[in-house]
Amino acid sequence: MLFQKVNSVELSHSAKWAFTTRRVVHEDVVGLTTNFVDAKTGDLVLARVEKIGSHKRIQLTNGRPSELYRGDLVVLVCGSRYAPDQYEGHAKIDPDGSDMLAGGGVIGVMRAANKRMAGPTRVIPVGLLCGRDGNPVNLADYSLPELTGSRNLTVIAAVGASMNAGKTTAVASFAHGLSRAGYRVATIKATGTGAYGDYNAYVDAGADYVADFVDAGMVSTYMEPISRIMKGTEILLDHAADNGCEIAIVELADGIFQGETAALLNRSDFRAGIDGFLFAAPCAASTVGGCSALRAMNIEPSIVTGMVSCSPLATKEAEAAAGTHVVKRESLIDPVSAGALLARIRTQKKATEGTLGIKSAEQAA
Amino acid sequence: MTKNFSTPGAFRLEFKAGSGRHGLPCWLAIPTELDAGRPPLVAVHGIRRGAKMQAQQFGACAAKAGQVVIAPLFGEEQWPLYQQVVRKGRADLALLGLMNDLRLAGLWQSKRFELSGFSGGAQFAHRFAMLYPNLIKTLSVTSAGWYTFPDAEPFPYGLGIRDGRKDDWGPQMESRLREFLQIPINIAVGALDGDCDSNTRSGVEIDHQQGANRIDRAHQWKKALLKAAQERGLPLPDVRIRELPESGHDFAECVKKGGLVNFVLSNREAKKPKSSANRDAKNPSSRATLPSEIQTINM
Repeated sequence: MLFQKVNSVELSHSAKWAFTTRRVVHEDVVGLTTNFVDAKTGDLVLARVEKIGSHKRIQLTNGRPSELYRGDLVVLVCGSRYAPDQYEGHAKIDPDGSDMLAGGGVIGVMRAANKRMAGPTRVIPVGLLCGRDGNPVNLADYSLPELTGSRNLTVIAAVGASMNAGKTTAVASFAHGLSRAGYRVATIKATGTGAYGDYNAYVDAGADYVADFVDAGMVSTYMEPISRIMKGTEILLDHAADNGCEIAIVELADGIFQGETAALLNRSDFRAGIDGFLFAAPCAASTVGGCSALRAMNIEPSIVTGMVSCSPLATKEAEAAAGTHVVKRESLIDPVSAGALLARIRTQKKATEGTLGIKSAEQAA
Repeated sequence: MTKNFSTPGAFRLEFKAGSGRHGLPCWLAIPTELDAGRPPLVAVHGIRRGAKMQAQQFGACAAKAGQVVIAPLFGEEQWPLYQQVVRKGRADLALLGLMNDLRLAGLWQSKRFELSGFSGGAQFAHRFAMLYPNLIKTLSVTSAGWYTFPDAEPFPYGLGIRDGRKDDWGPQMESRLREFLQIPINIAVGALDGDCDSNTRSGVEIDHQQGANRIDRAHQWKKALLKAAQERGLPLPDVRIRELPESGHDFAECVKKGGLVNFVLSNREAKKPKSSANRDAKNPSSRATLPSEIQTINM
């Protein structure tokens, strides 16, 4: 194991720091270690680009993409990735060459790839970035702090039939509609892999508070303990409320059968904290199957939307077969219908709590 | 046009052009000592589009409390049916845009605003409040020709769905009725406003639902609000009604002779609503009122 001092100012300028490292204070980095065997998820890794693959750009901390060149120095975060449309990869560092698993700045070792994907961008690890105590700098050290006290938030969970079902578009649209209707809205990505695509979509929608699991100290939630994901989500919700938000829309990545997402949905304590579910599906069949799977988990989606809503015929099929109403994007964006959808969610929640004898936050206040 | 006064109630009257092609212009009565934390009064004109008069008439009284008056001007070409809020031009979106602009300009900071309207403006006001109850602190409707009732009649007469429509406004209002019924509501109508004119929407069905003239319709609407709350097991809404003395269907007359400004703005001293449908009849002055001199306009 080698420990080498580094100049943090020089490192700030000479390396491209990925979006996932946005919470890290650069001055905290004083050295490098090549003890890659002990690398764990969340550790910051300095690497050199060896071969440009599918990720031709890296997402920077300032929210813009940067073209990658062979030989570029990049600061990435060791982590896993689960993306059926792209890669599955694990949080390991191979000193002979590792993979850039996500443009947001995740380094690991690819395990499987979608056939439509080119190979990942290959990087040679230079070292793990270390702090003054000699230990690797880890994202967990930069998590938002836990807050105490109660919060009064309407929480809407957004789930999908699959990756690219239209979840993020739906979340951003709904946040925009509610924001126009005068609500202070938080949008939170609770699971997934660190990247700025969804984050920026939320910001563009006009959400008053935007955060993802990176703000709770995780570069990716794949293979993280459910208790940690739950705790991270709670932290982000508390901060949303602390920032004056009254509504939080929480997106869970990928489809409802993805490991962590399914585990969360199956937990009664997670479901109890959710006032309503938004379900996005790409087609009629997935709408029917998804609604059925959710109902088996005792979840009746309050809003069904997604790519399926782009097609009048698919919408008709989905509504008939799933016994649900498909909401178009235009309705999520319109402040009147967004407000009405929110009111229905709150009313349904109140009715459920009344049935179960649970006191709502509003009643408690 | 600007006038400055250093006395309490002093304000300046300003015209703000609409921002961009679709921006909503307005007249503003800005207090010399503005309290941006106080919810502004949005006062909506009737079909004669007298926005400036709305700002003028409410300006002095509002200024005493540091309250800005915002009087939007819905142009005839762009918003010919602004009374119905969601018709051509979407008057609701225009007002939301204007309020955002004025918030950025530092004229208000509160979460909600007070909304008032006269005649066609009263139609706009109550429908806007039914669509966006979260934004409204108090609602004042004066001399509305007709109303959207909280019943099952097809929209815009009621909250029912119109034939052939999938997503209609009525059911969306119904979703928010619980919130709407929590807003303190003032209904006013000129005591001499019992005649129908060419602008009064009349017919067998609407007369049966709402009454034959503005006075009857005001009372009927109040009854319908109370009934809607009762049917849904909700607390009785805080609704008061006043027939403005010596006033016909004329805004200036309603202000000068009927004490409309006092009636609308006395809400700021309102206390918690009581659960009594007969409160107004028993104690018409159950809320604190402001001195009668507020009717004097210092312009």
